[in-house]
Amino acid sequence: MSGRRIGVYVCQCGGNISDHVSVEDVVAAVQEEPDVVVARTAMFTCSDATQQEIIKDIEEQKLDGIVVASCSPKLHTFTFREMSKRAGLNPYEYTQVNIREQCSWTHTDDKAGATEKAARLVRAGIARTRLTEPLEPIVVQTVPRVVVIGGGIAGLRAALGSAEIGLPVFLVEKGARLGGWVGEFDGMYPHGKNGRQLMNALVARVRRHPGIKVFLNAEVVEKSGSFGNYEVAIRVKRDSAETQAETVAETVRVQAGSVIVATGFDAYPVSDGEFGYGLEGVLTLPEFKRLVDAAAGPLEFDGRPVRSIVYIYCVGSRQPEGNQYCSRYCCTAAVHASLLVTARGAQSGGEEGRAAGGAVRPRAAGGPPRQYHLYRDIRSYGKYELLYNESREKGALYLRFPDDDPPVVERAAAAGAGGSGYRLTVTTRDLLTGGEELTIPADLVVLVTGMVPRENDELVKVLKLPVGNDGFFNEIHPKLRPVETVVDGVFICGACQSPKNSAEAVTSGLAAVTQSAAMLKRGFAELDPLIAVVDAEKCEWCGACLAACPYEAPRQVEVDGKAVAFIDKATCKGCGGCVPVCPTDAIDLQGYTDAQIRAMIAGLLQELTLCRA
Amino acid sequence: MSGMKYDALVVGGGIGGMESALKLGDMGYKVLLVEKDSSVGGKMILLSKVFPTLDCASCISTPKMGATVHHPNITVLTYSEVESIRRDGAGGFHVQIRRKARFVDEEACTGCRQCEMVCNVAVPDEFNAGLVSRRAAYIPFPQAVPKKAVLERAGTSPCTAACPAGIKAHGYIALVRSGQYEKAFELVCEATPLVGSLGRACYAPCEAECTRGGLEGPVSIRRLKRFIADTHYAKGRGPVDVPPSNGKKVAIVGSGPAGLTAAWHLARKGYEVTIFEAASQPGGMLRLALPPYRLPNEVVDEDVANVTEIGVKIVTDRRVDDLEALRAEGYDAVLLAIGTHQATKLRVPGEDLAGVMRAADFLKAAKLGEELDVAEKRVVVIGGGNVAVDVARTALRHGASAVQVVSLESYEHMPAHPQEIAEAEAEGVTFRDSCGVAWFEGDDAVRGVELMRCVSVYDDKGRFSPQYAEGTVGSLPCDAVVVAAGMRPDSGAFGLPVNASGTVQVDKATLQTSLPHVFAAGDVVLGPSMITSAAGQGRRAAFMIDRWLQGEELDPEAFDGPLPTVDKNAVLARQVTHSELRPHDARENVALAPGEFYEDEETMTEEEALYSASRCLDCGVCSECRECVAICPADCIDLQMKGSEVEAEVGAVILATGFTLFAADAKPQYGFGCYKNVITGMQMDRLLAPTRPYNAVLRPGDGKIPGSIAYVLCTGSRDETVGNPLCSKICCMYSIKQNQLIMGALPLADVTVYYMDIRSVGKGYDEFYEQAKAMGATFVRGRISEITEKEDGNLIVAYEDIDNGGGMAQAEHDLVVLAVGVQPGGDVGRMFPEGGPSLDKYFYVGEADEDLDPGRTDMPGVFVAGAAAGAKDIPDSILHAGAAVAQAAAYLEKAGVTI
Repeated sequence: MSGRRIGVYVCQCGGNISDHVSVEDVVAAVQEEPDVVVARTAMFTCSDATQQEIIKDIEEQKLDGIVVASCSPKLHTFTFREMSKRAGLNPYEYTQVNIREQCSWTHTDDKAGATEKAARLVRAGIARTRLTEPLEPIVVQTVPRVVVIGGGIAGLRAALGSAEIGLPVFLVEKGARLGGWVGEFDGMYPHGKNGRQLMNALVARVRRHPGIKVFLNAEVVEKSGSFGNYEVAIRVKRDSAETQAETVAETVRVQAGSVIVATGFDAYPVSDGEFGYGLEGVLTLPEFKRLVDAAAGPLEFDGRPVRSIVYIYCVGSRQPEGNQYCSRYCCTAAVHASLLVTARGAQSGGEEGRAAGGAVRPRAAGGPPRQYHLYRDIRSYGKYELLYNESREKGALYLRFPDDDPPVVERAAAAGAGGSGYRLTVTTRDLLTGGEELTIPADLVVLVTGMVPRENDELVKVLKLPVGNDGFFNEIHPKLRPVETVVDGVFICGACQSPKNSAEAVTSGLAAVTQSAAMLKRGFAELDPLIAVVDAEKCEWCGACLAACPYEAPRQVEVDGKAVAFIDKATCKGCGGCVPVCPTDAIDLQGYTDAQIRAMIAGLLQELTLCRA
Repeated sequence: MSGMKYDALVVGGGIGGMESALKLGDMGYKVLLVEKDSSVGGKMILLSKVFPTLDCASCISTPKMGATVHHPNITVLTYSEVESIRRDGAGGFHVQIRRKARFVDEEACTGCRQCEMVCNVAVPDEFNAGLVSRRAAYIPFPQAVPKKAVLERAGTSPCTAACPAGIKAHGYIALVRSGQYEKAFELVCEATPLVGSLGRACYAPCEAECTRGGLEGPVSIRRLKRFIADTHYAKGRGPVDVPPSNGKKVAIVGSGPAGLTAAWHLARKGYEVTIFEAASQPGGMLRLALPPYRLPNEVVDEDVANVTEIGVKIVTDRRVDDLEALRAEGYDAVLLAIGTHQATKLRVPGEDLAGVMRAADFLKAAKLGEELDVAEKRVVVIGGGNVAVDVARTALRHGASAVQVVSLESYEHMPAHPQEIAEAEAEGVTFRDSCGVAWFEGDDAVRGVELMRCVSVYDDKGRFSPQYAEGTVGSLPCDAVVVAAGMRPDSGAFGLPVNASGTVQVDKATLQTSLPHVFAAGDVVLGPSMITSAAGQGRRAAFMIDRWLQGEELDPEAFDGPLPTVDKNAVLARQVTHSELRPHDARENVALAPGEFYEDEETMTEEEALYSASRCLDCGVCSECRECVAICPADCIDLQMKGSEVEAEVGAVILATGFTLFAADAKPQYGFGCYKNVITGMQMDRLLAPTRPYNAVLRPGDGKIPGSIAYVLCTGSRDETVGNPLCSKICCMYSIKQNQLIMGALPLADVTVYYMDIRSVGKGYDEFYEQAKAMGATFVRGRISEITEKEDGNLIVAYEDIDNGGGMAQAEHDLVVLAVGVQPGGDVGRMFPEGGPSLDKYFYVGEADEDLDPGRTDMPGVFVAGAAAGAKDIPDSILHAGAAVAQAAAYLEKAGVTI
């Protein structure tokens, strides 16, 4: 008996837990434990109503410790800490026990076993709670400035957005100019806006804004300090004043509360030979877009009018081998580009028609280029469907090729298909017409290429950015925390996170501004006090802790003439790496002390009798 | 509430609205969030799990919901509608909000759900997409925030609204339906103690208004009341609590329906009530006028006993003429309820001949068992009202050889109740309409009636003034005549101002006469009327007398104050389907042979009563049975609660009004609403959710576990035939998510998805699609053209089989899920009476510059978050809300309108 008054709440999570764990049996197994004053089940412990009930228990039963056995602490640690605060209980007197991800969901075939395991886990949680102590969060003043990395549309808009709500920005662009991909193009979907003009205007606004300082030819090379108080080193290359050939690097150090990463994407690099790439007239989508943008009138290629274009979709995307993800933007981008071609007007050219034998014959004269879209699924989601409709209404042909039987692009026979001088032929099967095999003569073949993550190894290292299986940066949670990363105060937005079109990239850029501002506008941040502390009497400074620390939190200080370790509160992440390496056991981790861990192990292993209450 | 100031108004408490409010609040702005439903949470809280991470939707929503309402910078108004948003001239907005009446005190409600447990009305449960029912008193779902009950009241049910006595007809029907007959009796008694009399002799204006009347015929409301009364009386009387006296005395003159009802209400409030009755037995017209085949004396006795057993004294054979004398006897107030007992004379020759009787005397004699000289005689009844018909039918029962009713009015305009006329005709009574009496023939005894043709009954001002054609139209030979030409009050003795018809002049709302302590009610005020009207007057008079004696203002508004009557068309429109339920056969309502005096109708059996009550459509939703009021431990339910208006000044507005799902029955070829095993995607999500209604995935038609499930993608999307060419974006993905969950829940089930294009765009989405395929879901390219139902409930889908040559093909499935798309939610246009942000062609809120300024509308200071601007999944909605917040914050900073 420790004299504590502990409340234990075992969650059914609708049926997520109670379908596979007998929560009543768990309660029965632990309600007689010493110090347990209240033990009950709840359908959704996280629901507001149940929280109110727990608050009532805390107040009426004078509880001084809470155990909630429900889901992963990732989900609800903050929920129940906030609840404890509202009840006047120190939030660190609460213990989250995971009996969902680590129990009910993993043992769906063994209810008895899962129930026993849950009971043991809950008992360990009670054991930990007996030894909790009230802790106060570490309050750090935050710096109301933001570093934005990337001068594309997402980064520029994020910089402007942040400055406009009173948080000045250091904008760091690797290249020599601002504007990114969008600045390279003319008409963009869905509203036909001219990307170049759009970006010129945006860049001008950014340049004009007194709250934004732009670094071109610059890279973030170092980040130190802690959340809310980062020092970021920016290496800026400048052409030497004397000799233009030589570049000089200069490092600028800035203080910032947060970092927004908007480093964008690269176009899928098509290999030579992939769908005929390398043959004259076979272009990637960005190459084709530049060609269309450059054309004042009817489309020409290599000095000759373009009469027939074949688009091959999902090049470099949705591949069983290689990039498995869908690049999201490319269907609509290709549809939109083909509409621009139609709008560029008619070419004198050949009439084409579909022959019964499968070959497509050129037509006699007039009309815009014939356009053939060879696709798997057209993904013109939402309002973009209207573009797809318009394209079909204007005569584009959509042919669906089997997922496992992609089109083949070849150089046309010397005389051209039908002697009409087409450079290329594309052979495909069209499921929409009974799987018939067709050979389409083409002046141009457009490979509708997707997005790939940018090479950012240096930045990943500097910021410790989490990278997903697909190579894009990972958020903490796509719904709960979609622009935050596991590194506090480092946000991601735009296409560096996943393929996005420009409007979506801007949206996520502004969302990152909001998230950053929600933290910085307060002027201070609260950090978890679950950190390592040194017992100066036991410590005989040896440096082992410093060597073990990934964050360089320990440093040597002198106390009463003795060299000991001191751990910087704001830098320590509470990983516990230093605790076991200390030869004198001088370090303990607040919230997970050695005594608590031992008590938890004892709680797990102690004999357990399960019987229904 | 008025003059509240906030930095921002967020309209809508779904995921987009909550995210907007939370982020603005975190930044330090004061936020007002208005949600039209009774809980925040929007659509997301309805879902099972969410793609592509398969997180539990509840687990992700609930902390956001809790955080929103507890945020120190956020004020949340649930169950409230934004009425108007207007510019205030200083860059901000003036907002009017209507807080809808919950009928539950939100502060006091503890969310204990006891009201829900006792509620007798079941309506489709929106939370479970209509798969099961909820109650009219309800908490929308277990995780609701705030967890407070709501009473759904669409209005007053037409039957209840039609009852002049103020009986909660819908309420007692609902109580009968749940087998609570005693409580039903008590509920009727809340209006009047005359349960047995009304159950038999009421003309039931409620049934005339019954919404079901427009379908197969009205609910037998009156006969249900009779069932309640007979069930109650059959048990015999037990001890009752007599209310303690409050020391005040009230005299009531007349023991008819008005007097008895008033006495009942006053006595229950503690008044010492004495009724003075001129006749030898109490009951007034109930006793003296209504023929026993319609209302036996024993039933009147029971009703009267309800009143006397709680302490009301009835003094019979005491005619009161002198009101001052009553005052002298110590009565603090007097109610005149003397009815209409004076017969109107015809003033034609021969009226005094032997054999010419007055209806009141005739009926009274019949009721008191005295001899009537009509056996084997030809009887003519003069008059076209209910009394005339009662006389005619009574005469038949006393052996009259032929009975003919003569009315001034044409047959169609006779004032008698059509039902009565029909029953009388069925018994053999004949009618002679549009005729008046010129004279009665005969020397000593009447032998005939000479008739004139009546051309009009009322003058152009509506006054009774019959006009006749010249001459007579012949004679009706007869042996006896009963004149039932109208009754008037015998009110001359009181010295009170009276109308030409003899009725006492009163304030119609308060029923107070020119003497402040004297009130009048019933036929003495109304002229000849119905029992139920008189009872209603008695109740009103009692209410007013109580207020007067308590020194309170006689405020007519304080009496009842019902909600507006619900629109019957709206009631019918909300029935997705209804079974054909014929009214229970009323037994032959006619005497089998003259001389039979037993009641012409029997009490319903319990089975019949339950069946009849089950036909009720619950028009007003809440039946006003008051069970919740009685049980609520926090005493927080108030059926009279009114909504309130709230005003606020805000700096910026974020519209997060979300989306609605496509109504699947708008695609009739898919059979939703007709085929029970065709469900929507939302219904499947509910079947799969941890808070699922059946604890299993089963098909609604017969509860069978489906072995073969089909998905129809693009239901209501990419479809010009329903006016929506847009792609809804979420349906592919939620279907794929459900596929995976189904394969977990029903490992043996086959899942087939019929699609045009799979649009799994988003981080990890295409991988999620591939995962579903790898788990065994079959994806078939081809749109479904039609679904037909087999006898066993299975469904045949006809589709174009693109992958196999493109011909038409058919497949059979146990269950079909329609992947319904989205449509804009929230009537944004209505919120801006002086003009608001532009909407796009499809009524989504338009974004002025989507490329650079997502979330900003073309109205400065007004922003849009989430699916209100176009179909979005949850991650996109959250990001979009983040963008809208950044825009709104920039606006607030620049405009300097922050408080």
